[in-house]
Amino acid sequence: MSDTIDYDIRSSRHPVRSWIVTMLLFLLLQAAAVALVGFTALFLSITPGWSAEGPLAPLTKPGDARSGALLFKSDAGYVEAPRLGIDVDIVVSGPTARARVTQLFKNTSSQWLEAVYVYPLPPDSAVDTLKMIVGDRIVVGDIKPRQEAKVIYEQAKRDGKTAALTEQERPNIFTNSLANIGPGETVLVQIEYQQPVAQVAGEFSLRVPLVVAPRYNPKPIVQSVDLRPDSNGWGAASNDPVPDRDRISPEVLDPAKNDPVNPTRITVRLQAGFALGEVKSHHHQVTIDSPDARTRVVTLAEGVVPADRDFELTWKPASEKMPSVGLFHEQVGDADYLLAFVTPPAVAATTQRPQPRDVIFVIDNSGSMGGTSIRQAKASLLYALGRLQPGDRFNVIRFDDTMTVLFPSSVPADAEHVGSATSFVSSLDARGGTEMVPAMRAALTDDGSDSDRVRQVVFLTDGAIGNEQQLFETITAMRGRSRIFMVGIGSAPNTYLMSRAAELGRGAFTHIGSVEQVEERMRDLFAKLENPVVTGLTATFSEASADLTPAVLPDVYRNEPLVLAAKIDRLAGSLQLKGRIGDQPWTITLPLSSAAEGKGLSKLWARRKIGDAEVARTMRQMTPEEADGAILKLALEHQLVTRLTSLVAVDKTPRRPDGEPLKLAELPINLPAGWDFEKVFGERGRMPAMQKDRRAEGDSDVQLAALKRPVVPAGPATITLPKTATDAELSMLLGLGVLMLELIWLVAIRRRAAN
Amino acid sequence: MPRFVIALAVALVGLVLFGHGALIHAKAVVAQVLLDRAFSQTIATGQPIKPWSWADTVPVARIEVKRLGISTIALAGSSGQALAFGAGHVEGTAEPGETGIAVYSAHRDTHFRFLKDARIGDEIDIIRRDGKTFRYRADAALVVRFDESGIDPATDRAELVLSTCWPFDALTQGPERYVLHATLIGDR
Repeated sequence: MSDTIDYDIRSSRHPVRSWIVTMLLFLLLQAAAVALVGFTALFLSITPGWSAEGPLAPLTKPGDARSGALLFKSDAGYVEAPRLGIDVDIVVSGPTARARVTQLFKNTSSQWLEAVYVYPLPPDSAVDTLKMIVGDRIVVGDIKPRQEAKVIYEQAKRDGKTAALTEQERPNIFTNSLANIGPGETVLVQIEYQQPVAQVAGEFSLRVPLVVAPRYNPKPIVQSVDLRPDSNGWGAASNDPVPDRDRISPEVLDPAKNDPVNPTRITVRLQAGFALGEVKSHHHQVTIDSPDARTRVVTLAEGVVPADRDFELTWKPASEKMPSVGLFHEQVGDADYLLAFVTPPAVAATTQRPQPRDVIFVIDNSGSMGGTSIRQAKASLLYALGRLQPGDRFNVIRFDDTMTVLFPSSVPADAEHVGSATSFVSSLDARGGTEMVPAMRAALTDDGSDSDRVRQVVFLTDGAIGNEQQLFETITAMRGRSRIFMVGIGSAPNTYLMSRAAELGRGAFTHIGSVEQVEERMRDLFAKLENPVVTGLTATFSEASADLTPAVLPDVYRNEPLVLAAKIDRLAGSLQLKGRIGDQPWTITLPLSSAAEGKGLSKLWARRKIGDAEVARTMRQMTPEEADGAILKLALEHQLVTRLTSLVAVDKTPRRPDGEPLKLAELPINLPAGWDFEKVFGERGRMPAMQKDRRAEGDSDVQLAALKRPVVPAGPATITLPKTATDAELSMLLGLGVLMLELIWLVAIRRRAAN
Repeated sequence: MPRFVIALAVALVGLVLFGHGALIHAKAVVAQVLLDRAFSQTIATGQPIKPWSWADTVPVARIEVKRLGISTIALAGSSGQALAFGAGHVEGTAEPGETGIAVYSAHRDTHFRFLKDARIGDEIDIIRRDGKTFRYRADAALVVRFDESGIDPATDRAELVLSTCWPFDALTQGPERYVLHATLIGDR
């Protein structure tokens, strides 16, 4: 065809007409080309696109949408991906309790999951067994150094094997991680621990914490420098008072918006070894069966309860008199382990002239104390102010993230000062953070005057802080002649902080879990404050050589037993305790051969030795390396979970298929009962999402670290959206424009030519 | 004949420009026909089928909006090459019907032009390559920056996001994206 055209053009005898023909043909060709290339597209795809008045985008106001901060999940409730059920089964045999905690993880989602659950245990618990039950297989965990256990767990996780890991975050906070729970599957994780029964003020008690209260973690503003004697002046500054803050801060559900989670069943078989009198649960409704006079079976009346407060059980003997001495032993290998309880005789207070005292009351009015806790704390402090004697002097300090010292220095406990302190305490309101270290520092600051007076610090708090170690170091450095009495307030106090602070401060501690307990417990505490202690205690074994814990015997307060654990080479001879009650010498001799059989005493001894090593580390009596070495040796020998050792269980069979993603679910916990969510977390609904997506890839370690629960996330992981605009329209418009211009130009030329 | 040459050159430029734009649309339309065929075969055979022998991607889903009469095939990945032919299933996002957010992107002037007409409440059907259909309901629309989409892949629901460039009628590339969010309401 083009040949013909060429021929036509060349053969034309009229140049102008031939030019016109050329142009027309050219335009025709152009049109044909456009039609060929874009015809279909124009008609099928973009016809409506050319309309300038298309329907508006489905935004009410584009300005609203442009803010870009709309949350997709604003109405998304908390869907529990894995569900958790807890069963606590405790057998109390005489002086010790053996607890089996079964956590049932049910994966209700259609994906493979890794579940992480942070839970509390008593601070003196010796965790020695981990079992994982997958289908009909039971896998028993091994004790390993912590890093090694972590590596084994991570490897199993990558290989698609089901694995469980039990780690200690604090002596009373543990984490269970469970990898590769199949869709719709249920896996049981069972841990067992040994615990001594507490004996105080004429009754025995057992405390089972069920929830980790949200901790206040001070911000790393002030650097703390650790200069070691052999470091020649060079040291490292550690920036963060709570370096593991993300490991102890699980998500907390707002009770106003969520039903309680983590249903818990508790059974206690109480075999006290003597005829039982009153058995009482302080914070839960229970049913108590009595198969015989020495045995009780305690179960929850409601069947299950949400894990939101401590379970506390106390029991008394049927006879009026408490047993004042208990002696138990357990033979393991060729060593005997001894546990002794000795309650010194109560010396009538009238025979003693009460010593004049300086009492510094410290009350925590931070946000975590909001709700019922602050009422208990205020009631306790008001009771204490009422108990002050005319010769006493006192001061009151209140703290949250700020601090007020009521009087410039201690003032006499006269009506005027007590009155102004009473109105100061009554007006307190719970809010803000928990900067406990400055308050402890202020309380321990001793002007040194009147050194004949007894100086006592009564510290009322729930202990909801993550920087326990800083507090312990403050006490160690500044305690001087002061003695510290801790009063644990609320439904889930940090028992570890209470007991360790009291131990370091050579005082005592008590718990107040409800307003009803205030008077009874504070009366007991005042009995301790007011009455003489047994001092200068020593223990001697007549024949056996013994490794005794505590190595240095503490002073003993009224109504409190001295509890000793010892590893001895043979069960022969006697144990003699000597001390002074007031001005009188006191001696007691226990024949070892008459010790009764006890259970798990070796574990308790090891746990106490480990506790002693941690204290020695805090007090700089041992170097960190020495203490860690001693702890590791004891832990591996006695199969205990510690700061340095973990239990790990791995199912041998890989189960998760290659390439299937593994999703991490950090299990949420309840807010402790009586807490006020807004006081702790501020404005409602700002908690981060529970789940993080994660592919099971080789570098999952790194990813896990990056995804570990920040308390408030810096910003959610987001997806970058691809470029989704073409220059099609721009090109076509430009092309059309050029063609139009040319057409106009040609028409103009044509007209001029025609003229 | 210099005038003729100039006219021809200018006309060529215009033609090329227009043809380039038209070609993008033509590719988008023609490819969809081939993709549709390959996707039907994928469902029938259970094997990923390439729409044409030199293609570097495979169709993975069909997106349908009944109210608007829309049916478009989505490809694996959201590279520029893939997006020329169809919507792209953004790498690393969830499969439709599963927990998580499935994100599809396509050009505002071709396959996802319909987003302009989509409304909250529209039902969006995603037919997966195994033949299963998941019905989502549009429940939010927003405009975001491409790198601050706010799309958190960690969700415990099955969610869907269709994204394209914003504004719809702009002629040049911009940083803003229009996002239509939907939540799974059923499958069959």
